Amino acid sequence: MQSWRRKSLWLALLASWLLVLLGLFPLLRLAVPTSPRAGAPQGWPRWLDAELLQSFAKPGELLEDGPRPPQALRGGSCNWGACFDTSKCRGGGLKVFVYPAAGPVSETRRKILASVEGSRYHTLSAAEACLLLLLSPDTSTGECDPVPPQWDGGRNHLVLSLHPAPCPRTFQLGQAMVAEASPTVDTFRPGFDVALPLLPEAHPLRGGVPGQLRQHSPRPGVALLALAEDGGRWHVAGTDFSACPWDGRCEQDRGPKQTHPGATLPNATFCLIPGRGPDVLHFLQALQAGCIPVLLSPRWELPFSEVIDWTKAAIVADERLPLQVLTALQEMPLTRVLALRQQTQFLWDAYFSSVEKVIHTTLEIIQDRIFGPSAHPSLLWNSPPGAILALPTFSPSPSDFPFYHLQQGSRPLGRFSALIWAGALGQPPLKLIQAVAGSEHCAQILVLWSSEKPPPTGWPKTAVPLTVIDGHRKVSDRFFPYSAISTDAILSLDAHSSLSTSEVDFAFVVWQSFPERMVGFLTWSHFWDEARGGWGYTAKRTNEFSMVLTSAAFYHRYYHTLFTHALPKALRTLADEAPTCVDVLMNFLVASVTKLPPIKVPYGMWHQEARPPPLEPGGPGLRQEPQPAAQNCINQMAAGFGHMPLVSSRLRLDPVLFKDPVSVLRKKSSPPPRSCLTPTPAPDPLRFHSRVCPLVPTLFMLPRKVHRQAPGLTRESREGTAVSSSLWPGRCATNI
Amino acid sequence: MCASVKYNIRGPALIPRMKTKHRIYYITLFSIVLLGLIATGMFQFWPHSIESSSDWSVQKRSIRDVPVVRLPADSPVPERGDLSCRMHTCFDVYRCGFNPKNKIKVYIYSLKKYVDDAGVPVSSTISQEYNELLTAVADSDYYTEDIARACLFIPSIDLLNQNALRVKETAQALAQLSRWDRGTNHLLFNMLPGGPPDYNTALDVPRDRPRRYFLLSSQMALHPEYREELAALQARHGEAVLVLDKCTNLSEGIPAARKRCHKHQVFDYPQVLQEATFCVVLRGARLGQAVLSDVLRAGCIPVIIADSYILPFSEVLDWKRASVAVPEEKMSDVHGILQSIPQRQIEEMQRQARWFWEAYFQSIKAIALATLQIINDRIYPYAAISYEDWNDPPSVKWGSVSNPLFLPLIPPQSQGFTAIVLTYDRVESLFRVITEVSKVPSLSKLLVVWNNQNKNPPEDSLWPKIRVPLKVVRTAENKLSNRFFPYDEIETEAVLAIDDDIIMLTSDELQFGYEVWREFPDRLVGYPGRLHLWDHEMSKWKYESEWTNEVSMVLTGAAFYHKYFNYLYTYKMPGDIKNWVDAHMNCEDIAMNFLVANVTGKAVIKVTPRKKFKCPECTAIDGLSLDQTHMVERSECINKFASVFGTMPLKVVEHRADPVLYKDDFPEKLKSFPNIGSL
Repeated sequence: MQSWRRKSLWLALLASWLLVLLGLFPLLRLAVPTSPRAGAPQGWPRWLDAELLQSFAKPGELLEDGPRPPQALRGGSCNWGACFDTSKCRGGGLKVFVYPAAGPVSETRRKILASVEGSRYHTLSAAEACLLLLLSPDTSTGECDPVPPQWDGGRNHLVLSLHPAPCPRTFQLGQAMVAEASPTVDTFRPGFDVALPLLPEAHPLRGGVPGQLRQHSPRPGVALLALAEDGGRWHVAGTDFSACPWDGRCEQDRGPKQTHPGATLPNATFCLIPGRGPDVLHFLQALQAGCIPVLLSPRWELPFSEVIDWTKAAIVADERLPLQVLTALQEMPLTRVLALRQQTQFLWDAYFSSVEKVIHTTLEIIQDRIFGPSAHPSLLWNSPPGAILALPTFSPSPSDFPFYHLQQGSRPLGRFSALIWAGALGQPPLKLIQAVAGSEHCAQILVLWSSEKPPPTGWPKTAVPLTVIDGHRKVSDRFFPYSAISTDAILSLDAHSSLSTSEVDFAFVVWQSFPERMVGFLTWSHFWDEARGGWGYTAKRTNEFSMVLTSAAFYHRYYHTLFTHALPKALRTLADEAPTCVDVLMNFLVASVTKLPPIKVPYGMWHQEARPPPLEPGGPGLRQEPQPAAQNCINQMAAGFGHMPLVSSRLRLDPVLFKDPVSVLRKKSSPPPRSCLTPTPAPDPLRFHSRVCPLVPTLFMLPRKVHRQAPGLTRESREGTAVSSSLWPGRCATNI
Repeated sequence: MCASVKYNIRGPALIPRMKTKHRIYYITLFSIVLLGLIATGMFQFWPHSIESSSDWSVQKRSIRDVPVVRLPADSPVPERGDLSCRMHTCFDVYRCGFNPKNKIKVYIYSLKKYVDDAGVPVSSTISQEYNELLTAVADSDYYTEDIARACLFIPSIDLLNQNALRVKETAQALAQLSRWDRGTNHLLFNMLPGGPPDYNTALDVPRDRPRRYFLLSSQMALHPEYREELAALQARHGEAVLVLDKCTNLSEGIPAARKRCHKHQVFDYPQVLQEATFCVVLRGARLGQAVLSDVLRAGCIPVIIADSYILPFSEVLDWKRASVAVPEEKMSDVHGILQSIPQRQIEEMQRQARWFWEAYFQSIKAIALATLQIINDRIYPYAAISYEDWNDPPSVKWGSVSNPLFLPLIPPQSQGFTAIVLTYDRVESLFRVITEVSKVPSLSKLLVVWNNQNKNPPEDSLWPKIRVPLKVVRTAENKLSNRFFPYDEIETEAVLAIDDDIIMLTSDELQFGYEVWREFPDRLVGYPGRLHLWDHEMSKWKYESEWTNEVSMVLTGAAFYHKYFNYLYTYKMPGDIKNWVDAHMNCEDIAMNFLVANVTGKAVIKVTPRKKFKCPECTAIDGLSLDQTHMVERSECINKFASVFGTMPLKVVEHRADPVLYKDDFPEKLKSFPNIGSL
């Protein structure tokens, strides 16, 4: 009993201690202030009576507010809606008339005139034009032009000056738009005027120097910063740059420096350009060099700022916070630096590298304003290949173009249309049609009948619809954007071509990985002919190639639109006159858009090596070497483009198990497993594409269970739908 | 504490032997102790959460307690704003100064009630909306309580509704603010000045159902000239165009703002907006129109017919994607202009309009935060949010890939590549690899990553003499990730990762691999290919090394890639993949394949027929079980990585790259890469 009592006493003691402790802790907690700021007013208060607050406007309160009349035109501030008459442009879209030059023409002006005349918007009649282009007075002649005849208060006029005007204007601008190099932000009217880049005198007319960027990431050890100096020079600062000399005001202690007086292009990651500097040329130099421009509070409008998103290619910082800018540049993540660098190059190549590009971009901006809702979306302006090469008339949706599938998260349609060009031809190319129609990806076959004779009637019955289109007997016809073409992919064929179904299938699957490129079977390569001082090309088999023949090639149907609507007419006429040129022209076009080589896929050995040129019945059957006329055409094309866009490739894309001596090895080691016994005919030309059994040693290493499961294994696409289960069709053996 | 716990454990066993009264006594005691324990536990965790809650620290006060400030009639009126102000002329950036997080600091003046000499209040103290706005700012990251550290100031004087203001007195009140200084760095909210925002109306999220009207105008106070134009439009296009006006014959008690009429037909507003594809926003009483937000909310595409109307947040939002701007002069053509827009684009615009509404206009909070973000982007342009982040709806953002190496560029061959050999202690094999690799013409540097901390690398004199610089890097820890570290020694963009036991690859094969990489610098270019498959029975991914017609990965035992991916692997690898790889000592190549495919959205390139790194004849029989566990582990890796990435980024292709004349009937000696091995 006593012990129980004692124990209970102990327990009571323990319990009371515990309680005391429990009570004490919270008290202690309260006694010691946890936060030093306790008691001070903090934050925006939560009003106890917030519910009682009135709403800032009672519904219906403002309904009787006086209505406002349509805005009367105010003199100085024209805007697009008020000062431009789009009704003139309604018929044929933008038509541009340029006032002919009176008297001697300076070099710059000649280039501008040539660019406008080469543009697809040019017209010779001032009456049908909806935009009248007035070139501003020339620097060299020093004369100021009189008021042009169709001036009409400047309505629908664009006054274009690539250089700041040397003499005061003799007339009021009125309602004219001004396209001026580096306009000041104070006078620039956004959405109405166009800001141009300040071009150097010697800027090329066409093509232009490509960007200087040779690698995506900055070279290790390259200077972080280059400073723009007077006279178009750059002062390259080391990485441990002292933060003093911002705009040349501070002369002492420039830190470790290496000045290149002769170098005109900066070699640094960032190029610092003071905002009020008179020499805006620096900006273009930086772009060309792939040096990210860092602009300090620029007082001038950035070129084409209406459409170009400069935040992707340049940094516009406040000149009052130089130290902060410097720190930000030093700490900028590599990913951002890479993106900015590449964007500078893209913009340079797409819009600035030649006078022609600058002028065409200007016209494209005006065209976009006229188009209104169907203008280029921002994506088309700001990602390769740029708005000049991406025609908004093709489609309102970027995912219809071959270039934006990654950004849009889309993929090209999984079918193709075969477009067979039939020149002089007695009967339909049955074998070819059957081979193409046999492809599971084939959606339709279009035969482009381009002969004087009426098309024959005996077209074969095919699983896919076959349509005969009557062409216009011109070679460039084969690249016309026929509305009958319903798929993204086009398989362009000649009636003479011979392909097998498996070749077509494989080439199409490859094309789906590279929808912006041409995927072809037969190739040519171009070369620089030292002896003749010009370009040449050859159909000989070499270790590299740069063109694929359109007698058997996959490409995106967008290139038909581009070929017909964007190429200068002169080039297309040239191709019509010399039929082999049409291949060259198409390859030039695609290469100038993609800046990449085409793709070659394997072609059976038994086929002819090259095709006879179209529209030349009875001509040389196997043409090893292009005709001299054709050799000439590549030079004319190169002149027309202003540069040589073709890029060479040294690789061919083959099926993964192409010509693998797999079965040979198997024969050596053991009889094939039972599941692999499905025979295929021995002389099958599709050999390279037939599904091949795994090598026996590998099979042995696999557990049996997995092997049995194998037919159930498929891969799934990102969306989770099964894409292909053709991995083990019949577990066939190869026949080599 | 400890003792009592012990006692508790013994307690129940004692209870049955005790007398009843003792038992009750003990049970009571026991329960007290138990309760105490529970209470202790509660106190351990509970108070912290209370303290961190904002309700605890923020003051709760009543509006009525707000201090009153009397404005003398002759107190200074601030001068008019400078219309030519620009960010770099009028905004004082020095106040913002250096900030590692690139966030501006915003201060909110405390609330005061301003009265004039006669004691009449200048305005209502604060409206519900402005209170909401200031609360949102105060809750955001931008907020600071320290006026000295702030770079942007928001007065608590409610200026939202211009109509309810006494302009002169309000100006005087603003001038009284302690940091006013002619308004420098002050942000005034004067939103939706023309009409009631009516945020309280319950409205369904618009559905994708057919819309009855093509074009609708719902504004009431319109100038007769516009009315005429609209009437003409309606006369011309009939049913497709609906022009609504104020109702004249409404019975009492029905708010006029919620009804619109066409002749004698009465429509509910704003519900009627959901019936139209396009909704007109005309110049009304003021330029900024409340109708715009109603229209956006209803999923109707606004047709802006008001020249020089600066649309909200137009600095960052691309309104062309969500609205149609028609010049006032072209108002009569509006139907034709809208008709020319293809259906797909209309759907796109509807989606975009809805997204703008949801992201930036739906609530006062969204508006406040977007405003501050825009100002923040101006001050810290190098940390600004991109066009895509502002404008792309989440569905697009999710599916899109922005390739970090998007510029089509073939690097010059002269640049060459850097070979990185990861080694532990197989010196003999390593030396053979070095000798072999050094024969490749485009090799420009060789980097040996010595991963063995217990052993020193061989002396300089023992290394093979090769024609390019050879550097040995010693690592601090034996980790597989060391192979993918962005070493400063890597000067070329192209990197060849190669194992120290891969001696099969010929010089031609390696050189050709480099050539292929030059054409595909944003991809992994490797030799043996592997595949991932979906196992339907097990419902998970499976690693496949059999020789199939498809490839989705390449082994990095020998692979070319851009050195940028080293940076990504080391610093930007999602989740715990890097640690997983180091812990398992496996799958670093699968991780690299995942990473590259995820950022570029592109497939790998398998080069040449090569399928194995070791000779096929020497596959040892005892390797069987090893191989099985290996495959299971690799499959596990794929499943793990796919779950970390949240998707399966790998892309399957059916092609490999061979030299142009590979296996062609052509003289071998004329081929560039004659010596391409097999298997």
